[in-house]
Amino acid sequence: MGTEGFGPRIVELPFGLQVTETVTVTWWIMAGIILLAWLATRNLQMVPGKRQIVVETIVKMINNLTKQTMGEKNIKFAPYIGTLMIFLAVANLAGLLGLRPPTADINTTLALALITFFMIHSFGIRTKGIGKYVKGFFEPFFLLFPINMLGELATPISLSFRLFGNIVGGLIIMSLLYGALGGFSSALLSLNIPVLAVGVPAVFHIYFDLFSGLLQSFIFTMLTMVYVSMAMD
Amino acid sequence: MNVYVLASELRMGLVAIDWMLAVQIANTLILFLVLRKILFKPVTAFMEKRENEVKSQFDAAALKKKEADQLIPEYSHKIRNAEDEGKEIVRSAVQRADKRTAEILKEAEHKATEIKESTQKEIEQEKVKAINTLKNDIADMAILAASKVIHKDIDGDQHKVLIDQFIQEVGDTAWHN
Repeated sequence: MGTEGFGPRIVELPFGLQVTETVTVTWWIMAGIILLAWLATRNLQMVPGKRQIVVETIVKMINNLTKQTMGEKNIKFAPYIGTLMIFLAVANLAGLLGLRPPTADINTTLALALITFFMIHSFGIRTKGIGKYVKGFFEPFFLLFPINMLGELATPISLSFRLFGNIVGGLIIMSLLYGALGGFSSALLSLNIPVLAVGVPAVFHIYFDLFSGLLQSFIFTMLTMVYVSMAMD
Repeated sequence: MNVYVLASELRMGLVAIDWMLAVQIANTLILFLVLRKILFKPVTAFMEKRENEVKSQFDAAALKKKEADQLIPEYSHKIRNAEDEGKEIVRSAVQRADKRTAEILKEAEHKATEIKESTQKEIEQEKVKAINTLKNDIADMAILAASKVIHKDIDGDQHKVLIDQFIQEVGDTAWHN
């Protein structure tokens, strides 16, 4: 804990509770998503309006993606996959609103990766049976057990750090860029207002937040689907 | 920890795993449960419902079309029958009209013949009447002429029979010439 660096700030809550801004931003995002979902689905019509068409398209897209990736029989995963996709997309784009993306915190990404890890193994055991599941660790032959074990343990780590690293990398670069542009503004133009920070960061935001952010949320979701459905085969 | 630093300026380490991990797991699960309840389940169920409804409507339409297709031969048969019937009606009407025409013509002809015959008879009668009148006149004139010749009254009644007989003979030959 300190005042330097790029870690999440600590926020004081009533009753002396302390959480990081990761959690408060997550709460805002949750509230926003839930409010939008509630508004969009509270009055469903047979002949849909514009709002309903958007919501139906999103849900249908998620359902179709789940069906294509995990198979028709695993359509029950669609709500979680959809939640993951929507939450990650909004969380990764939070940087555009000047918020610290919750995914720029290892606690968030590891939380999601641990849920995926738990899903991989619980659904693996449930569909294969415990015997076949354990046997899977000794294949193709028993000496590979440690490697298989490491591979399984590496999954949540690689999942969480891939997402975290991409987002926090973007965050750091953007922070440095804003700092540098502010510095240039005062050094070259002798202004206290960072005028150079107008416009230039937009290009970097498009790459780090829009492109990288959406791509990473897609990758995380796809990998979750692939890992879980592979564990169930 | 520096006591002068506000809580909002305090930062966690960049890669520090702490109990926020549990909070974030809980947050994710809450978001998942809420979205499943208010977004994914109702919207998916609703789309399925609509899909089924559309399907059932298409099925109903297909059924109706099938029924209609089955009715086509029946109705075309009916139409053909009606056409035939119409033709038959027209044909019989024409036939009846022809018959009636023939009848009327025949009747007219018959009537014309009748009229002609009766007229001829009348003419004949008139002719006989005229001849008789003429004969009487001639007889009278003959008696008158004869009485002038012999200067003596011929007794009309006495000689009439004789004269009539004469005239009858003469007249007959005269009329036949």
